[in-house]
Amino acid sequence: MAGVDIPMVELKGIAKSFARRLFVQNRSFALRDVNIAIGRGEVVGILGESGSGKSTVANIITCLTGYDGGTYRFKGRDVGAYTRKERFAFKSDVQIVFQDPYGSLNPRATVRGSVMESLILHRPDLSRAERFERANTLLEEVGIPAEAGDRYPHEFSGGQRQRIAIARAIAVEPELLVLDEPLSSLDVSIQAQILELFVRMIRERDLTIVFISHDVNVVRLICDRVYVMNQGAVVEEGFARDVLTHPQNEYTARLLDAVY
Amino acid sequence: MASLAPTSTDDRPLLEIRDVSVALKTGKRTMVSGVSLDIRPREVFGIVGESGSGKTLLTRTLLGLQDDAFVESGRVRFNGEELPVAGYAGRARKLLGHSIGFVPQDPFSSLNPSMRIGKQITEAIYLAKGWPMGAERTREAAISLMAEVGIPEPALAFNQFPDQFSGGMRQRIVFAIALAQDPKLLVADEPTTALDAITQRRVIELILDRSRRHGLAVILISHNLELLRQSVGRIAVLYGGQLLNVVASGDIGRSTVHPYAEALFDCIPTREKTLADIRSIPGEPVGAGFGLRGCAFASRCPYVVTACTTTDLPRNGGLTPSFSACILGRGAP
Repeated sequence: MAGVDIPMVELKGIAKSFARRLFVQNRSFALRDVNIAIGRGEVVGILGESGSGKSTVANIITCLTGYDGGTYRFKGRDVGAYTRKERFAFKSDVQIVFQDPYGSLNPRATVRGSVMESLILHRPDLSRAERFERANTLLEEVGIPAEAGDRYPHEFSGGQRQRIAIARAIAVEPELLVLDEPLSSLDVSIQAQILELFVRMIRERDLTIVFISHDVNVVRLICDRVYVMNQGAVVEEGFARDVLTHPQNEYTARLLDAVY
Repeated sequence: MASLAPTSTDDRPLLEIRDVSVALKTGKRTMVSGVSLDIRPREVFGIVGESGSGKTLLTRTLLGLQDDAFVESGRVRFNGEELPVAGYAGRARKLLGHSIGFVPQDPFSSLNPSMRIGKQITEAIYLAKGWPMGAERTREAAISLMAEVGIPEPALAFNQFPDQFSGGMRQRIVFAIALAQDPKLLVADEPTTALDAITQRRVIELILDRSRRHGLAVILISHNLELLRQSVGRIAVLYGGQLLNVVASGDIGRSTVHPYAEALFDCIPTREKTLADIRSIPGEPVGAGFGLRGCAFASRCPYVVTACTTTDLPRNGGLTPSFSACILGRGAP
């Protein structure tokens, strides 16, 4: 899958710890020696239960949180050594969709406004009318009628809000899209709709996707490769189909046995 | 797994629900309409539905726990005893904690955080069996109950507080409290939704194991059709406050079932399915209190005909083990 030699995302020996209490040296490790490499165009799952560190990995990949040890290279360049300009470019290269569609949209902006806002920053070459048109196209693409763009987030259901969050994320044409438990807060029938949207996006767009999830069955369906995490460490990695049908690691096997 | 066929010696239902409608106190709006179900002794029964289907409202109201809703009409019998619609909640609550045990969804808010768990369990035993048991024997009973639900080192845990336990352990403690009174029926409302996969499986197995060994009837409420399909004997499918289907779990994915049950099963990823097997349901789920004529699922149903929105749904007589509310007869026994 990896077309070029340099992986898009390369985490090497990443460690992250949190202070258990303020001013106390005793720290608990959220991540220990995490190595993850993601090639261009791959759909990679990061699978783990709560507390496994999978969301911390998502936050590190998107630079929403720092790390204490190791290096993170994005397209071969150490993120820690980024200049201001590079940091700004990074933000349009990498986008994230969060679990909770209720909390991730600005309640005081119309949903079209939310999509247009990221275009103001990252596509200053577009005129207002062009941004408006583009936002409408994006909303239509994720299944929200363009007329509904004038409405506010609270007027939409959870599934529709998640669609809007996806439209906003792909508005700046990111190379890497991080999906942090994007289905978990949705109803079963809506989960399937959003899953279909992801599958279509993977087919139609030139995207690299990191799919953070606790749902073994969904990861098996849409991911090329998977990293299984437990207690802050990657315990198994490989092709999703292999790992999730013939696990080598004892923890992965236990997890698979438990899933309905 | 509970047997599907009623046993010859004791086929009178433990819980008999006939044409029960539930309405909100404010506005008297009917949220769940005309539900009939029979739960047999020792049966493990599932109720599935998406959010807003009315599954939680129906069961909480039937248990007398929902303060803002009431049983509007219908008949409920538990263990041969008629529960009158007038003053229903009060009567139902007398059963709760004696003949009926309840495990709510969230193990983080269902225990008293300032009371040692031993005290919370012994309190339940006192209530069921009375004071003459004596403190020491009650303590022993509580500890053996804790051991039974799989709490490690129960004697030590007896003196601990709820915050010292994980979600799975807390759900076991709630389960121990529900079992303290040796109920005939256990109602578990999404008992594992807040838990991780491995813990979820353990808690469900624990409930099923208890049911097998003690002849406990269980109503397991979940949004996870695959979990129910693998765990229970029969499943009631609720949608928009209507009972659409009562189906043997083995029939799902194999025989023709109600179109909604079929569609719901088609949208969940399971072990066996590939991407091509997943079909989403178009549109959004309607909420409880759907209130229009006809079938709540008509707007999303692939088999829909005009009559679906104009004809009243067939009501479940309750006597047959399965039922379909589809006017086209899909999934009807």
